Amino acid sequence: MDGKCCWDREVVEPGQCPNIGEGEEVLYTSLGRRVLEKCVECPNFRGDLERFRDTGHPLAAIFPLIVADLQEQRGKLQSMVGFLDSREREIKFLHEINLVLQTSIDLDEVLSVVMTAITAGKGFGMNRAFLLLADKDRKFLRGYLGVGPRNYGEAWNIWEDVNRDDFTLKEMAKNFYKTKLSSEKVKFYDILEKLSTPLAEQGHILNRALREKRPFLVENAFHNQEVDYSLAQTLGVDTFLITPLISRNRRIGVIISDNCITHKPITPQDVQSLETFAFPVAFAIERASLYERLQEELLKVTAANVKLKEQQEIIVKMERMALVGKITSSIAHSIRNPLMIIGGFARTLLKGAGVDDPKREYLESIVRESRQLEQVLEEVLNYSDSLYPTLDSWDVNQLVSSVCRELNTKLGERRIACRLRLETDLPPARIDYKQVAYCVRSILTTAMEGMPDGGEIRIETRREEGWVVVDVLDSGVAAPLVGIDALTTPFGSTQELGTGLGLAICKTIMEKHGNIFEVETPPSGGMRYIIKLPVTREEVINGTTAGG
Amino acid sequence: MARLLVVDDESSIRLLYSQELVDEGYDVVTAATAAEAVDRLKESEFDLIVLDIKLKNESGLDLLQKIVKERHNLPVVLCTAFSCFKDDFSAWLADGYVVKSSDLTELKEEVKRVLAKKGK
Repeated sequence: MDGKCCWDREVVEPGQCPNIGEGEEVLYTSLGRRVLEKCVECPNFRGDLERFRDTGHPLAAIFPLIVADLQEQRGKLQSMVGFLDSREREIKFLHEINLVLQTSIDLDEVLSVVMTAITAGKGFGMNRAFLLLADKDRKFLRGYLGVGPRNYGEAWNIWEDVNRDDFTLKEMAKNFYKTKLSSEKVKFYDILEKLSTPLAEQGHILNRALREKRPFLVENAFHNQEVDYSLAQTLGVDTFLITPLISRNRRIGVIISDNCITHKPITPQDVQSLETFAFPVAFAIERASLYERLQEELLKVTAANVKLKEQQEIIVKMERMALVGKITSSIAHSIRNPLMIIGGFARTLLKGAGVDDPKREYLESIVRESRQLEQVLEEVLNYSDSLYPTLDSWDVNQLVSSVCRELNTKLGERRIACRLRLETDLPPARIDYKQVAYCVRSILTTAMEGMPDGGEIRIETRREEGWVVVDVLDSGVAAPLVGIDALTTPFGSTQELGTGLGLAICKTIMEKHGNIFEVETPPSGGMRYIIKLPVTREEVINGTTAGG
Repeated sequence: MARLLVVDDESSIRLLYSQELVDEGYDVVTAATAAEAVDRLKESEFDLIVLDIKLKNESGLDLLQKIVKERHNLPVVLCTAFSCFKDDFSAWLADGYVVKSSDLTELKEEVKRVLAKKGK
């Protein structure tokens, strides 16, 4: 039988087979490949097959079956190749994204890459995505970032930009990080706020996704019993995908994505791809968050170190000054007394000397010279006195702790518990350290003496407008109101001298420096002593006490 | 005539103060130590004490506290060689203080001022 197709010829000339195209020239001389690749699809070959069937040859019925099966297998093969191609593209894409995620420790940079990958056509191609992160206290899932268009017009503009720029995914993420991150946060602020969900709300679908560690493809959201109606309403779509972000069993957050503009169905393959993508994302977000927290802690520790160093320098300076003071005081006492005696008696003698007394000149000389020496001495002492930083910036918490340490043994002997509640970040106060320490010591001593059978002293420090407040509350017997006045009045006639003397001096010292000292009897019992010290002026100007 | 007790461990200073204050018309008794001062206070009444902050091997401020506790109406004028009184706030209990000087005018004026304040 002569065929209309070229299957019966070993070699064909160019133009004899209409199905052989450019680049397939090898098929002209390869009969086997030509039949399998071209003839089975050729209408001439099919015509030849039909005519062959009509010949009644025993193989005539078998051939069409083999050809049909060959075509079916080829179809399957092609679809598998297509599937493998798309998988290969996805793996390449994930590889590229992972490289970026692994090297980035900046949270916003990580999020820019993640959100771009989800919404870009070159990535997962979703129209819109929202990221919710578990907060530091692990009480809420909070809306953190939204990406995508809010309406068709905006979508159109975005797609036009994407087509015009033809950026790679990496470039798009970089561009997003630089120019759009902040504006997108603002753009979706309302939705992000509404999406925030308490982590304790067990039945909420976002928490279920986290608990069951699997994605949820929500369909028919407005009539779905499993979905909170307000969630569907906030998103405004009836189909969306919830992908949990979990790293080492820790709940990091969730990504909600949808196709709010194109309404393209979300396929099981999309779900699976995003689930695979979520693992490195969760890990990268956790790492970036930890790094951010580490940086914060580092800053705090550095600041504390600087403060500590400053305080140490001040203490060293104070000790040095105290030594200078002691030395000069000792010299003053040793020199001043003899000088005073010499000059003093010279003056006495001078008073008794007559106007014509020849010794008068000598005495006058002694009086003059001793007076001059006294003036020199006074200048030296004034200088050494000026070295004392009378008023300086001091950490009141440190002062209170130091006094308590000093009195610790006495408190223990009297079975008095001393509880400190010192406010962190207390601004420095401008005080005379020695004098304020004396006052705190006097207050504690007075409180101790008022509690012969033991008890409790509570000391609290806090900020109050422009003041640093030291608040001392004891569990001793409250003094009557009249007694309080007497306690703080120096040499008051009703004063029972001894224990109250220290407080009288405290009041004088405090008021001399413009501080406030109050004694109260709270209704809950005991005595309450309040010292208010001015915050260092720079602190007030810098506004660190604002709202304090 | 007001009676003054001068407490100082230096005999020359006691002599100097006595002479000058007697010249001013006061009746002056002296003491070299705190114990002696306490004895003098027990023996008779005084209108004012002139007290040196640094006595030999003891503090004039301890004596001051004792005086304030026992006779809180008895005025005290502290004499100091400067600066050391600032280290102890007990000095604030005194009615007045003067820095030691060969010119005793300041001391005399301070004694006069304190006595006038107390109505003596």
